[in-house]
Amino acid sequence: MKLISAMALVSVIFLGALFIYVAEDIPAFGDPYSPPNRYVKLDISMDADELVDDLNQGIVPEALVSELEAIGFRKDELPSSVETVTEGEWDAYVIPPEKYYQDLPELEQKRSKYYFIKREGDTLDVYRYAPIIRYIEEGHHETEVPNMVTYILADYRGYDTLGEVTVIFTAGVGVLLLLRRREKRPE
Amino acid sequence: MNTENSATGEGKGGDVIVETVSRLMVPFIQLFALYVIIHGAGGPGGGFQGGVIFAASFILLVIAFGIVDAGDRFPEAVNTNLFSVGVYIFAGVGLLCVILSFGAAQYLNYGFIPLTTHFEENRALGMDLVEIGIGITVMAVITSIFFNLVWKRESEEEVGEKEEQE
Repeated sequence: MKLISAMALVSVIFLGALFIYVAEDIPAFGDPYSPPNRYVKLDISMDADELVDDLNQGIVPEALVSELEAIGFRKDELPSSVETVTEGEWDAYVIPPEKYYQDLPELEQKRSKYYFIKREGDTLDVYRYAPIIRYIEEGHHETEVPNMVTYILADYRGYDTLGEVTVIFTAGVGVLLLLRRREKRPE
Repeated sequence: MNTENSATGEGKGGDVIVETVSRLMVPFIQLFALYVIIHGAGGPGGGFQGGVIFAASFILLVIAFGIVDAGDRFPEAVNTNLFSVGVYIFAGVGLLCVILSFGAAQYLNYGFIPLTTHFEENRALGMDLVEIGIGITVMAVITSIFFNLVWKRESEEEVGEKEEQE
């Protein structure tokens, strides 16, 4: 009995130490270079020199808009404004497609970060931002699993699911401690 | 004449039809549960759902045969161990990724388990392993909760009857 208790203690300590160790591995919240937040690259490359001035002044270049339209983006997915992040990197914003946001007066307009533009030598590369787009569009190629729910739950959000299983395990242990049947009742 | 049976829980169903039908149904329910767990990657399903369906087959056993017979088929000691086996499979697969890539990969980055030659297919197979772990834990916990609730009730009845006789 003592041996079993000691083994249980050792395994609990091992699992706890493992969880703490791997928690160090998790990227910080919103880290753009963490695997699920990486951008999705679009099949566009444009000549940089003509467009850089426009981008630096916060004007959306006509050439970029027409290229995006040619790929097949909807009208509400076209960029409405641009901001400089650092030298040679820009964020392009869209107005969210819901009617509420589209109807807001110009001063109160909400924008959401949608495109990421980066200068690579003489060309501009265009990426799409949000992690959810990466899950939807790239997940099937990256994991070879057709079910979107499964690959988000078990792969991209695997650490979260490990926590969920631990919650169920803890519930089971709690029920065992409270309700376990006793063979002999105290006289 | 029925007091003995009701005290131990034997013959609670007592009906030939119920016993026969559930004896026929249980293997199919368990097969379906395994299908749901393994098929989680390809369609609706997964470890949580499959584990609950598997536990439902044991609950059907209890309803048909009574707690004593069903408890003999599924010993409690084994069930309790399965709690942690599932969690350890999940955590172990994650640790395997770190070990097999010599510390290069992140925890739970299934692509680095060399099951096949393709990174993407490794991820799919790693997900299947993890789903099996989830299924084992959920099945054991749900079964254990049900068994413990039923046992408690019956042992209390037993004590109550003894007091009445005295």
